[in-house]
Amino acid sequence: MSGALSGTGVDSGPGPGRGVVIEARALSRRFGERLALDALSLRIERGQSFALLGANGAGKTTFIRLVTGALLPSSGSLTVDGISPALRPAQVHARLGFVMETSRLYPELRVKGFLRFMGGARGLTGATLAQAVAAVLARFALEPVAARLVGNLSKGYQQRVSLAQAFLNDPPLVIVDEPTGGLDPVQRGEVQALLLGLRGKSTLLLCTHDLEEARTLATRVGVLSAGRLVAEGEPSELLGRDDALALFRAGAESAK
Amino acid sequence: MTALRALVRKELASLFGAPTAYLALTMLALVTALIFFDHLRLYNQILFIYASATMGGFATDSVPDYVNLWDSVFFPVMETLGLTLIGVVPLITMRVFAEERSRGTDELLLTTHLTPTQIVIAKFGVTYLFVVTMMAVSFLYPVMAIEQGGLGLEHLSAVYLGLVLHGIGLASIGLVCSAFTSSQLVAAISAWAIAFLLWDLSWANSFVGEGVAGVLEALSIQPRYSSFAGGIVSLANVVYFAGIALVCLSVARFSFDLRRVSGG
Repeated sequence: MSGALSGTGVDSGPGPGRGVVIEARALSRRFGERLALDALSLRIERGQSFALLGANGAGKTTFIRLVTGALLPSSGSLTVDGISPALRPAQVHARLGFVMETSRLYPELRVKGFLRFMGGARGLTGATLAQAVAAVLARFALEPVAARLVGNLSKGYQQRVSLAQAFLNDPPLVIVDEPTGGLDPVQRGEVQALLLGLRGKSTLLLCTHDLEEARTLATRVGVLSAGRLVAEGEPSELLGRDDALALFRAGAESAK
Repeated sequence: MTALRALVRKELASLFGAPTAYLALTMLALVTALIFFDHLRLYNQILFIYASATMGGFATDSVPDYVNLWDSVFFPVMETLGLTLIGVVPLITMRVFAEERSRGTDELLLTTHLTPTQIVIAKFGVTYLFVVTMMAVSFLYPVMAIEQGGLGLEHLSAVYLGLVLHGIGLASIGLVCSAFTSSQLVAAISAWAIAFLLWDLSWANSFVGEGVAGVLEALSIQPRYSSFAGGIVSLANVVYFAGIALVCLSVARFSFDLRRVSGG
């Protein structure tokens, strides 16, 4: 793919004191003929709970994959704490926790075993690992299911497990992709309550197509439509607008 | 190293807890036993005829000049096992990367401290450990034959080195096939196709020139594996199997970079 490596970012090095955690400048990603992200420019400040809203196919997951370094940009730049995920993915990974959509776990592992594995894979060992696992089991109310197989849990509990693994090493940035997709109303409420409890403790990038979820959880909202950022602002001002739903419709039409 | 250790432990738990792995292990053990006892039965028959002939009971041209356990049992069993491993190892390797891709957990793994190289090494190491375990269980009968047949230690070492190297080659081929698909079936079929094709390329000799035929023979697994089974250790053969592993694991590692570019 031409230009895939061109947009690797400024990579000015880590900047813990600065206010911007994620910064995208004219970030584009193309899959063949399809432009999934189109010159996206976005800044997410430290401590923000930023909800990236958009219909299916709007480019939310593509943006997340660029932030985690799973994809290389076609053009433009992207940095996380001043570091390019394209150039130095390992340094970015050390700073983030990632919660994928439900069921993207290891069903054959037991909950505690899975958390121990993820903690180990994040560099935790010995007593530190044991403490971190115990802490997230308590924080996400997973103690009663700690010895059960992940695959035998309800979707709600699986999502809690997914959230728990992301907080094992208390990362400064947590990325959550469609946290309540496929959950029933009770499970949705539980997961949203957990995420609400995290507000202000870490920078949160939340991708969702649920307006109500964004209104509840986010301190700032951006709306993606056909790969472009079409609106950004406070949840109260943006999601209170009469045309909030129209932004979605436009995205859904473009994605068809 | 902490992350690598964690992945190795998890892979061990996943692989040694997978039903398909034990199915493959049982299959190989059964096939080995069948082949071994069939050849042993044949050996006993020949031995009986030979003994009868030398005592004057038979006067037939079909009696062999000599008979031994090595030529009648061990060598043909090892030859057949080389092929059987091709059928079985892809059943172990098919899940290694394909399962991660189909679940979407590969991207989760990559947001940890693990690097793609570490992931490939850990998965290969654990898979190969299972293949060796499988071979150890299955080669109980040949070991008995060796014990009874008085095969020398040097010869025995060569045979086992051949097996170890053949296993490395097959595990690497299976791994690279699994790295490029999210379907375990596709991974298994493509590994079978490549390994069976590589086993003996001499069938194509009649279609190509002498030079190409030489290259095809050099690329074939079978003559090199048989060389070890015959008790001959050659550095070129060791390098050949190591080369297969190096190429396959490098391509598997490259698949991570390719996916970052292609998004697939």
